Amino acid sequence: MAAQFHLEIITPTKVYDEGQVDYLRAPGVDGAFGVMAGHTDSIMALDIGELKVVKGSVNKIYASTKGFAEITKTGVQLLVESAEPQSDIDLTRAQKAYERAKGHLNHGQNKMDDELRAQRAIARALNRLKVGKRK
Amino acid sequence: MANLKDIRKRIGSIESIKQVTRAMKLVAAAKLRRAQSNMEQARPYARRINGVLNHLLPDIDRTTHDLLTMRPARQMAFIILTSDRGLCGSFNTNILRQAELIVKGAGKEHSKLICIGRKGYEYFSKRGYDVVEHYSDFWNELNFSHAIKMASAVSDRYLAGEFDDVRVIFNEFKNVAQQEIVEYHYLPLVLEEDDEAVRTDYLFEPSKDEVVKSLVPRHLNIQMWRFLLESNAAEQAARMTSMEAATNNAGDLIDALRLEYNKARQAAITTEILEVVSGAEALVE
Repeated sequence: MAAQFHLEIITPTKVYDEGQVDYLRAPGVDGAFGVMAGHTDSIMALDIGELKVVKGSVNKIYASTKGFAEITKTGVQLLVESAEPQSDIDLTRAQKAYERAKGHLNHGQNKMDDELRAQRAIARALNRLKVGKRK
Repeated sequence: MANLKDIRKRIGSIESIKQVTRAMKLVAAAKLRRAQSNMEQARPYARRINGVLNHLLPDIDRTTHDLLTMRPARQMAFIILTSDRGLCGSFNTNILRQAELIVKGAGKEHSKLICIGRKGYEYFSKRGYDVVEHYSDFWNELNFSHAIKMASAVSDRYLAGEFDDVRVIFNEFKNVAQQEIVEYHYLPLVLEEDDEAVRTDYLFEPSKDEVVKSLVPRHLNIQMWRFLLESNAAEQAARMTSMEAATNNAGDLIDALRLEYNKARQAAITTEILEVVSGAEALVE
């Protein structure tokens, strides 16, 4: 059994303590990266995407949004604005949010920040849908 | 007797007011518990973000980030947090009075206001202040996305050069019986002395600058979230205390009225007996 490290996913509304895990894959802004025990101390900016946590033979997947990962000798702390375990994702809600944001984008007034906001909402909803539908 | 009936009616109405205030107190207590647990949950995240930013800021050239650059404060903005509803003691009155003093001190004509909560909006828009944005009717379903929405609206305006300095005025939750009005420097970013400094030398991915760029908005969001939570908890605490006081007062009033009622009843009975007795005596003679 390879060495393990401690993983915590910290969001403003909830802390998910994953305990000792073997492997983490996280969506960095320059592409996904993997973390195993003994990683160099680092701080990585994270993009909207999918977190994969491997604990023994169990895989766990989260849909997460922007934030960053703090990696130290003692463990990894992911600070993201939201993280949802795959099992908690409500697909119909995500689909609705997606359509709503899409509607905003198409029919909204042509204000720059509105457009940007709608695009962000779309990205979040799509991510949720993608992660939710994964087997 | 009319007097007796009046008192009975008053006792009845105060009784029902007392029921209402007691119910409001219980509701506020339940909401306060939820607000406090939200605050509890937000703390680890806020602390880490603050810690990392504190670690990074000394090494960063502030002028390369618009949200960090200090610029001469010609135009001020004040974010003022109040509640939507009243019946919470002096919660709104106090903060409105103090906020008005602060805004006047900075100069009414170069101050823009962002009012969170209906009370503040009503107060300041009536008095001719420049309220550029206001939010209400969200306290009951308060969640983190509200904080994101407000924080990005503020930073968008800040980046567009609408104002150069942003202060937040809100009620901080001290304990159930105490709120403290706090003025917080929101933008440009200044950091409180850190409670948990990061000592390690990190590898930054993609780069220090990029990490700061992505951290600053996160920090603003979580700060906004903290203001909302603090103010919400303080509001519920204020409501709970004032409704408790109201319930007690209603109880006192009922006791006093009941005493008066009994006195009046006794007086009535005594007069009646007197009438009967004097009538009987008149017959005997």
